[in-house]
Amino acid sequence: MNRIVLLSVVTVAAACGGGDSGPRRTVSNEPFCQQVMPAVDAYMAEARAAHPTPDDPRYGGTVVVGGIGELADGMNAAVSSDYQATQHQQFVNLMTLIDYDENGEPRPYLAESWEVADDNTSITFHLRTDVTWHDGEPTDARDVAFTFETVTDPVTAFPNAAFWDHYVKGPDGVEVIDDYTVRIHMQPHAEFLDPFRSVGIMPEHLLADVPREELKQHPFGTQCPVGNGPFVFFSHDAQDRWVFEANPGFPQALGGRPFLDRYVYRIIPEQTTLLTELLTQNVDVYIAPPPDQAQRIIDDPNTELLRYPFRNYVFVGWNARRPQLSDPRVRLALTMGTDRQSIVDAILQGYGTVANSGVPPFHWAFNEELAGGIAYDPDGARALLEEAGWVDRDGDGVRENADGVDLAISVKYNNGNQQRQDIAEIMQAQLADIGVALQPQVVEWATLLQQINTPDLRDFDGVVMGWVVEFKLDDMDLFHSDRIDQPYAWSGTDNPDIDRLLEALSATVDRDEAMDLWAEYQQVIMDEQPYTYFYFPDRLDGVSHRVKNVEMDARGEWLNIREWYIDPESR
Amino acid sequence: MTTYVLRRLAGAVPLILGIATIIFFLVNLAPGDPTLLLIAPGVTDEVVQQMRENFGLDQPVHIRYVRWMAAMLTGDFGYSFSHSRPVIDVIADFLPNTLLLTVCALAIAFVFGIVLGTIQAVRQYSAMDSVLSVVLLFFYSMPSFWLALMLILTLSLSARNLWEWPIWFPASGMNSVDYDYLSLAGRIMDRARHLVLPTLSLSLVLTAGIARYMRGSMLEVIRQDFVRTAQAKGLPERVVVFKHALRNALIPIITLVGLYIPVLFSGTVFIELIFAWPGMGRTLVDAIFTRDYPLVMAGTFFFACMVVAANLVADVLYAVVDPRIRYD
Amino acid sequence: MALGIWAGMLGVLITRPSRVQVALGGAWDEKLAVFTLFVGLLVSWLWSWWDVRRTVTPGRVGVSQWDLAVIAFSRNRTAVAGLIVVVALYLVALVTPLIAPHGPNVQYDLVTMRLVGLSAEHPLGTDQFARDVLSRLLYGARISLTIGFVAVGISVSIGTLLGSVAGFFGGVVDGVIMRFVDMVISFPRLVLLITIIAIFEPSIFLIIAVLGLTLWPSTARIVRGEVLSLREREFVQAAEALGYPKRRIIFRHLVPNALAPVIVAATLGIGNTIVLEAGLSFLGLGVQPPTASWGTMVAAGRNNLLDAWWLSTFPGLAIVFTVLSFNLVGDGLRDALDPRLRS
Repeated sequence: MNRIVLLSVVTVAAACGGGDSGPRRTVSNEPFCQQVMPAVDAYMAEARAAHPTPDDPRYGGTVVVGGIGELADGMNAAVSSDYQATQHQQFVNLMTLIDYDENGEPRPYLAESWEVADDNTSITFHLRTDVTWHDGEPTDARDVAFTFETVTDPVTAFPNAAFWDHYVKGPDGVEVIDDYTVRIHMQPHAEFLDPFRSVGIMPEHLLADVPREELKQHPFGTQCPVGNGPFVFFSHDAQDRWVFEANPGFPQALGGRPFLDRYVYRIIPEQTTLLTELLTQNVDVYIAPPPDQAQRIIDDPNTELLRYPFRNYVFVGWNARRPQLSDPRVRLALTMGTDRQSIVDAILQGYGTVANSGVPPFHWAFNEELAGGIAYDPDGARALLEEAGWVDRDGDGVRENADGVDLAISVKYNNGNQQRQDIAEIMQAQLADIGVALQPQVVEWATLLQQINTPDLRDFDGVVMGWVVEFKLDDMDLFHSDRIDQPYAWSGTDNPDIDRLLEALSATVDRDEAMDLWAEYQQVIMDEQPYTYFYFPDRLDGVSHRVKNVEMDARGEWLNIREWYIDPESR
Repeated sequence: MTTYVLRRLAGAVPLILGIATIIFFLVNLAPGDPTLLLIAPGVTDEVVQQMRENFGLDQPVHIRYVRWMAAMLTGDFGYSFSHSRPVIDVIADFLPNTLLLTVCALAIAFVFGIVLGTIQAVRQYSAMDSVLSVVLLFFYSMPSFWLALMLILTLSLSARNLWEWPIWFPASGMNSVDYDYLSLAGRIMDRARHLVLPTLSLSLVLTAGIARYMRGSMLEVIRQDFVRTAQAKGLPERVVVFKHALRNALIPIITLVGLYIPVLFSGTVFIELIFAWPGMGRTLVDAIFTRDYPLVMAGTFFFACMVVAANLVADVLYAVVDPRIRYD
Repeated sequence: MALGIWAGMLGVLITRPSRVQVALGGAWDEKLAVFTLFVGLLVSWLWSWWDVRRTVTPGRVGVSQWDLAVIAFSRNRTAVAGLIVVVALYLVALVTPLIAPHGPNVQYDLVTMRLVGLSAEHPLGTDQFARDVLSRLLYGARISLTIGFVAVGISVSIGTLLGSVAGFFGGVVDGVIMRFVDMVISFPRLVLLITIIAIFEPSIFLIIAVLGLTLWPSTARIVRGEVLSLREREFVQAAEALGYPKRRIIFRHLVPNALAPVIVAATLGIGNTIVLEAGLSFLGLGVQPPTASWGTMVAAGRNNLLDAWWLSTFPGLAIVFTVLSFNLVGDGLRDALDPRLRS
């Protein structure tokens, strides 16, 4: 008996304790990775020797950032649409041609300078000459050309194809003039530099031979990315963590190697656990805590809360194809009957602003005069509904139209998202007051996507959704009548004014000219009310005092990660 | 005995195939398929169609079934859409982590369950018996995720920040960020520390069940004649309990292994989610939500195989250990 | 216990007369609540009367198995405590419309009344939508208890039917049914639940149906075992010799005798089902809002554990104590019905 106990204890201890005691990292057994990673290792060794760490106490240390989602599709800029993944592409592992400063003005990054042709039909980028890929190859114009051709090719299924609407797609749209000069062709349109801020440049020498339709499944994205940015990929344990190391060969003119030695991104799906890790100092930065946890982060002496306006908004999209919702007055009444400010105060604890259109308040195109928007006005809502023919004829508290059909609307939202569920529930209670029977319905994410995105199906009355906008605002996919059978035309809007304005806005290059159009556009949206816009939530992030020099704003959380450093005292 | 084992093995095969078939049809008849998550305005229908063809989704269901079965029998489990890797690699990555957790939890649950059950039986009707009963049942009645959250709040957060204990446990993950830089001893300690909370959450629930069975079993054995003989011979109680009664009482507990393994696997889903443990349960749930068919089917299939295997092992062990049992 | 019920019902009647009056004209569940109130009063009064009368009459000849079991059960104090809690829970669940201080979905002023802690007005606090937690807890009891009861009811019915058929007929029938049982048991139950509920829309009916349909195999196994051992007994052989139709033998002779372990399993199963439902809500696959069930309440409150701890704690405790009581009752039943364990 005793021997059995002893044996089991030893086995358990061995099983529970035995880990990897082999090489420093495990490389995926994909042949591509087996080939590429040794080159990266060689480059790192060389770069470390060539660029020793400066004698500054700020250099060194590891930062751990925790978020609830995995970086879907990893560093593959051609196929990924996940916000956190794109942030890592833009600021951590890859480089973009330009980025923005605090005022939203473009400044050089990979591109040292650029010229725009007088008739706005082409941009010529002059690239830096001192950037190398992490396997030693220099970054040059062919990489840019390759990236451009790849993302404009429909076979690649780049998720934000709307970016390239006004560019000449494919090989005709890009010209390699010399090793470090490249020209892109386009039709004149607004904010034409924006896509080059968000799409990272990919290595042509590694991926040119990959058939474009297989790019999504290629191990480059999640198993062995090779970038040219401030951090070099080290390892990725699926669903667990990504580890990056500082790039000693990063151009001195851009600041040289980052202060941090290592950067780790950890995936922790449960938010209570993530908060605990932040408070017990296992995680240094907590990405996007819910507003209810904000006070805890503020109160804790070791952490602070960063808060800034951001570019995503939450709305309820109404399917105007449904008879009850086809009348704009009804949609307007639904908005008027919802106390959106109190929802912001309640759900977001005040960390947000009520929205009346898809233009964020901090954006240059925002129309200040409309800031008041549509006020909470239940009486006005009732009047509108009566005017539209919806009256409570049988005294059951729910309005009917002339045919006796109840004003019953279902609002779908996906499970697992507490905020959207909260919105649906509160709306139900508030709209019951004005005689509307709103029924929240939870649907699982993939099923919901099918129901709302399939052009022939559109099986929903209302849907609670979120939308992230780029700095280049473009509602064409949402509201233009030409695209009414495309997946994102949830509202089924067919309004000639909106069509006209959308077309004009995308073609107008000059921002001052566009301002009037934007003002008109926002007013027209308010009148049409395709959506009930709810709010622009402020972005929250919990940051430990251990990490210094962290700047975050609407451009993203990781925007200056190469300038973060660990307080030398707390190493 | 050998014939029994062979017969069981032979019976297990159609069992497993039947399970696989049910899984396949369940998952594939669901509305929505993996390409849904790729639909975006610029993505034309042809591209989506091409994607469907690449994934083999354009074939009618029964053809897909036949193909899948054939592939599976040769060991090819297909390609996971959401992980962009062959399914086998995904499972090879995550399954060991789940097994680690499960085995540790089982071990602890059995050890504590047996000890506590024995104590209860030997001291039947005493105060300790009643108290232990209620306490154990209390934990048995708790949803495991609730227990997990409570443990995190007490043994991780409060222990470190509020009460400032010398020992506190990390709230998530399998190992620390600087795991690679630790010595071997350091790594074992690190792993062990990370294992404590998840294992506790999983095993406390099981411990109660095992303790109860153990108590019942011990009580039966104690009443038997040979125990009374030993007592009459004047042997000290400890010898009677450990040398004579315990061995016989342990026999039915073995079958519990087979009974509890499916429960254990279900429970790991919550634990893995809460403790950010990169395991098979969590991966499987994510795969269901992203309609990653090959991964769902392969994962469920593996789970079912393990359950069947565990049951078989338990039955065989039972027969081996108890000479009274003869299977013909 | 009778006294307790009587006092409780009377208490409700006295403290809430106006509410009772309103309820008489209200929705069907409110009428049911009033009905329960009066029936409860009547039954507890009658029982006390019968109890008193019984001890007065001289002792009866012989004691049946049932009586033995009842006596053994009532000696087990923890089991009796569990039974009291269970009965009280169901009564409370039935009478909820009369005793809940607020409606379960009534939202008070979102700005001021949100996440208020324990207070006189809201004894268990308010939640993120300024809804009273105590009322939601009471209404949630109905949901959780109903789910548990009906799901187990379904599974016990199916399991008993299939198990007894398998045990009685043996041979091929037995083989086929038991293969099927093995298949369903080997399935990781949670994965099956998640798959089905994620695929179709989560609704209370679907949840009950799926929970019930995944639980029956263990009952079937138990019943089959019992029937197998009972089948060789004389009374069955006598019945067969008398030429009774097989159906009658199964249902009138075998099943009632096999019921004891089934009852035990069912009681434990209710507790298990309630916990599973909580788990499904944790994954977002539980009953749809705004309906409150204990599981959804725990899941919704889990991000606030550090501040508004009352959101998750009270439903969590409710789950634990309810399941605990069911388990105590099940344990007590097992001890009482199994002659070998009585000392």
